Amino acid sequence: MKATLGKTIKEFLRQKTILFWTIAWPILWVLIGSFSFTGNTPSEVISHVRGAIAISMSVFALMTAGMANLPGNIAQDRERGLLSKLMSMPISPWRDFVGRILALLAFSSLAAILVALVGYICGARFSYTLIGVGQSIGFLLLISLASAGIGMLIGTFIKHVHGAIMSGVGIAVVTAAISGVMAPYSSLPWLLQEFARIYPISSANSSIAYLLVGEDYAGYNPLSATQTTLTILISLLLFVAGLIAYSKFCWRKE
Amino acid sequence: MDVISVEELTKKYGDNEVLKGVNLKIAEGEFYALMGPNGSGKTTLASIIVSVRFPTSGKIEIYGKKPKYAKELIGYVPQENFSSPILTGKENLMYFAGLLGYSNNAAEKIVNELLNKIGLSEDANKRVSDYSGGMRKRLEVATALFPGIKILILDEPTTGLDPSARRKFLGLIQELRKEKATVLLITHIGADAELASRVGLIDEGEIIAEDEPERLKKASGLKNVMNIETTIKSDKVINVLSNFSEKGKVLETDVGYRLYCEDVEEATPKIVRSLDAIGCKATRIETERPSLEDVFFQLTEKMVREVS
Repeated sequence: MKATLGKTIKEFLRQKTILFWTIAWPILWVLIGSFSFTGNTPSEVISHVRGAIAISMSVFALMTAGMANLPGNIAQDRERGLLSKLMSMPISPWRDFVGRILALLAFSSLAAILVALVGYICGARFSYTLIGVGQSIGFLLLISLASAGIGMLIGTFIKHVHGAIMSGVGIAVVTAAISGVMAPYSSLPWLLQEFARIYPISSANSSIAYLLVGEDYAGYNPLSATQTTLTILISLLLFVAGLIAYSKFCWRKE
Repeated sequence: MDVISVEELTKKYGDNEVLKGVNLKIAEGEFYALMGPNGSGKTTLASIIVSVRFPTSGKIEIYGKKPKYAKELIGYVPQENFSSPILTGKENLMYFAGLLGYSNNAAEKIVNELLNKIGLSEDANKRVSDYSGGMRKRLEVATALFPGIKILILDEPTTGLDPSARRKFLGLIQELRKEKATVLLITHIGADAELASRVGLIDEGEIIAEDEPERLKKASGLKNVMNIETTIKSDKVINVLSNFSEKGKVLETDVGYRLYCEDVEEATPKIVRSLDAIGCKATRIETERPSLEDVFFQLTEKMVREVS
């Protein structure tokens, strides 16, 4: 487990494309969003708007890490025969799996912190309580798990490295755009608002915005008991689906 | 003692029977080469032995155990370059040491010994992406040399290596033999298979011949092999040459033809004259001893690989 964690995180940190799309790209959007899209925003709320942008981009970093980097890593290991090599060794697929997920969580946390930090430097401010921060960390974890679940499904069923990465990036970008991660919930049409409530990454993003920058930035109450339960359940469902697919198909003997 | 025992092993993918009742026994310390062309079933057989694939039927035992209970005894090196190019050679080995449960200190010691054994100590901290093909393959073999591993299974390890890297790599395998390791080499290169103490020739999922390399050659009845380069290549040329080759077997190569001849001295002038008669010149004629690839061709009328 520790060995897989170490290997995977080194691979994430040493690949420039991964660093660019997971860290530099969201940071770029924090910079653009903080200074270009806030021209007519009243000065008393601008710091919170920047806060909401920083949260959205941190969430996007987590999405990219889970949906593109993880399946890319899985597909790469399969394509170069490493999974066959591992299957011939006396090791458990679960240890490999946990090592990969821990590496993903560590790398995702680093990416999200860096993006949020740049947001803070750009003037993002948050209004929070200690409990709110704790809850936000919980929602970030749910986002990572849901993204990892989707990523494992992609990595399991799309065999080629580039196909897996491109599919992951595509799903991350499209779902972020249509579910209110990259655009205000209030600006979405009715159908996409419904999707935003079901899509756990969007509802978790809204929950964090609600907790750290205020109710107005979420567009609805994502912290109602029903909505929170739905967010938790669907996140876990995606994660478990990815986990089952990975262990059953990637490590399956023919 | 047989450390690998395979009895009546079959493997089917739908209607395609890749292995057709294979029987194979490899003794402790033996260097066994399984040679056959692409698609002959050799990699499938190896992957069943190392527990990466299930057999359809048949029995297989490793040191008397089912393969899945003998994983700790087998070091498998698949055909692909599975090491991570973005990590250093040492980091790759530390990763495998970690997977096998070694503590950091123990792993460090073993990995340094392995790097020394495969001659990569000086390049240990270079990224694998900076390694040559031969260095990378040696590193990958090292992942199969951790203490406790008794059987080394190498799937086409020299494919894609230049001649120098290939010689160096085969030298390493010969060194490992001195340590009493049992080696199963999967290959389609006759010269590699000749290093083994016993060779199995596999074709269409069946082992068609099995013996020591020299005995296989002797049993084939082949005496000499002539490589003839010609100014033209055509069916007419093949027809002419087949009159001089044993059983009329002529193998087309990139530059000419390869035929099997008992008395080279007698045949050479006749071949030159006959080619002249159809307007073809023999630009070069070389004679060599038959290889295992020739034996395979003799038995199956198929080439193990493209002969150049």
